[in-house]
Amino acid sequence: LLLKESWDFEKNPMASKGSPLHGPRIRLIEQAQKLFSETKEHNFESKASEEHAKLLRLQHELEVSTKQSIFVGSSISDTIRTCIVLGNHRAALRVRTEFKVSDKRWYWLKAFALATVRDWDSLEKF
Amino acid sequence: MAQIPNLDNSPLNFTALRERSQKELINILKNGRGKKCLVIDPKLGGSLSLLIQTSMLKENGTELRHLSADPVQTECSKVLYLVRSQLNLMKFISSHIQNDVSKGLQKEYFVYFVPRRTVVCEKIFEEEKVHHLITFGEYPLYILPVDEDVLSCELDLAFRECLIDGDTSALWHVANAIHKLEFSFGVIPTVRAKGKGSAKIVDILNSLQVEEPVNAPDMGAPEINMLILIDREVDMVTPMCFQLTYEGLLDEILQVNNGAVEVDASIIGAQQERNKIKVPLNSSDKLYKDIRDLHFEEVVQVLREKATSMQKDYADVKTTSQSVSELKDFVKKLNSLPEIARHVSLAQHLQTFTCKPSFHSRLDIEQTILELQNFDLCFEYIEEMIHKQEPIISVFRLLVLLSVTNNGLPKKNFDYLRREILHSYGFEHMPTLYNLEKAGLFKRQESKSNWLMISKALQLIASESEASKPDDISYIFSGYAPLSIRIVQHAIRSGWRSIEEILRYLPGPHVDLKRGGSTNSSPFDKVPSFQSNLDRLADGRRALVLVVFVGGVTFAEIAALRFLSSQDGMGYDFIIGTTKIVNGNTVLEALMTTN
Repeated sequence: LLLKESWDFEKNPMASKGSPLHGPRIRLIEQAQKLFSETKEHNFESKASEEHAKLLRLQHELEVSTKQSIFVGSSISDTIRTCIVLGNHRAALRVRTEFKVSDKRWYWLKAFALATVRDWDSLEKF
Repeated sequence: MAQIPNLDNSPLNFTALRERSQKELINILKNGRGKKCLVIDPKLGGSLSLLIQTSMLKENGTELRHLSADPVQTECSKVLYLVRSQLNLMKFISSHIQNDVSKGLQKEYFVYFVPRRTVVCEKIFEEEKVHHLITFGEYPLYILPVDEDVLSCELDLAFRECLIDGDTSALWHVANAIHKLEFSFGVIPTVRAKGKGSAKIVDILNSLQVEEPVNAPDMGAPEINMLILIDREVDMVTPMCFQLTYEGLLDEILQVNNGAVEVDASIIGAQQERNKIKVPLNSSDKLYKDIRDLHFEEVVQVLREKATSMQKDYADVKTTSQSVSELKDFVKKLNSLPEIARHVSLAQHLQTFTCKPSFHSRLDIEQTILELQNFDLCFEYIEEMIHKQEPIISVFRLLVLLSVTNNGLPKKNFDYLRREILHSYGFEHMPTLYNLEKAGLFKRQESKSNWLMISKALQLIASESEASKPDDISYIFSGYAPLSIRIVQHAIRSGWRSIEEILRYLPGPHVDLKRGGSTNSSPFDKVPSFQSNLDRLADGRRALVLVVFVGGVTFAEIAALRFLSSQDGMGYDFIIGTTKIVNGNTVLEALMTTN
């Protein structure tokens, strides 16, 4: 029962995707996370929802600082890519350390992103 | 050429089956005089297009509309809805009626449920206070022929409903469909089932037979000799492999829907205004019938030969004077030219995909996974796919393949990949991961895998694949013989007993049942083992086996069965029944939650 409830919570924010009300969405996810953490088997889900909430917060911040509403709702990898494409390497690095992105994935993302903006010089360098 | 398949060559009298459904539909339409507006559930519209020409509907004084959230604008005073019993569709209908009522329009409403009415749906009308305005009816369309040897229930979500939602109404539907077939073709004497859903269908079938018995004596000999039921769950490996037959590839790359593909006009080379053309694909197209089940590489060769022989004939006609009858032959051949041209352009289009190096590396990795070799290599391949953010559906396909053959992934790898997926594709995929785990398709490894043993015992992997000279069904996947079809082969030959050991390692129970007219107790029929049945049928008629895939079948598997029956010394024909024709993508898409 507890399980079902938490999945409902998890699905809820999906339904309200794209809505500007980040506040309630984050809260819902955190509620879900708490429910997941009460059972032993759902360690993974619990951690994932924790990260999800963190990501939403971070994306919100990024949107405020860049004044572009293109972050919320995209995945971690997409966020990193967008940052690099925008030339905001510091933000990209921050996302990377925040979510412990592995080297392998980081290099792929960086290469793709730099290729998109045709920043061949930077691509050469790294 | 029509999209409605020609059924004349069918091993069973499908034409009668279709005509009955047509008649039932027309009766519904004729019911009540005057012009009517027919509103069809769009999903149902696709299946109906295989049943009846739209012109036939219009003849009966009907306007045709597709059901959507928008209210129906019509002059007709009668509105007839033809819908599957799905709750959201009921909501649409009641909002339409409420809309009319608020405008002060008085109309007659008819709602016909396909295949039957349900309490829940009527409840919605009661709640919306429109129940008293509607006349209800049923259109019992359980199963319809989609080609001369394929029957489908067109239940898109059967697999998901059974495994995730715990909704078994699809099983009831299938059992009823089979029961209805038995009314036309007699009680099927031998039933063999594997899998939980299949076993349940056998139960339902038995109780249906008690409730509404099909009387054996007035039917004569049963036309279908054996029924084999297999759950999709039993073999999840095959649908995850990329199909390599012509028809399979068409489905994988262009998606075959209701016996047709929709392609850009430029691909076919037609100069038409519309930019999308529907190309019908069924056995009415003679050339297609010949090449649909061949390995794609072979198809290209066949087409090339056809084209060059045409060219040669043409040259002959030009240079030498020929008799009138020879000319006539030539002209006849010319008639098949548009068909050849069409398939050449389709094949050309497919080749742009099959030529890519990524296509070959994917096939290689599939093969490696199937042989259970080099786990690390496969793992890294998938990891890289995720990092490159390749289409998530392709990632899931390989993951499921890897997980099923390995009976799950070690916890460390499992959690790592799940995390990488969520990071790369977004956290909204969490419910999908959950669904896959619940269905047992992508899970944590708990015990050793039996895949190698299964594949050895059933000879799933050919030692040396010869795609061009096939003598075994393993040609279908360039060296892998579909598990489901191997099971069918054994079921026919000797029943479950010979492979009981192996079946135990696959999910679900297996059932072996003899049925038949209890009234019919001539000594001849007392213990009719299938083998003796076969002997009896040796006088010209071939035995007929109905193979039902509960939860969907792929074109590749259909091809394999057709191939089997075409082999020398195989005294049986197949009819394939399914809840829906699927491929790896459609199976997985059903599991991905979007709402």
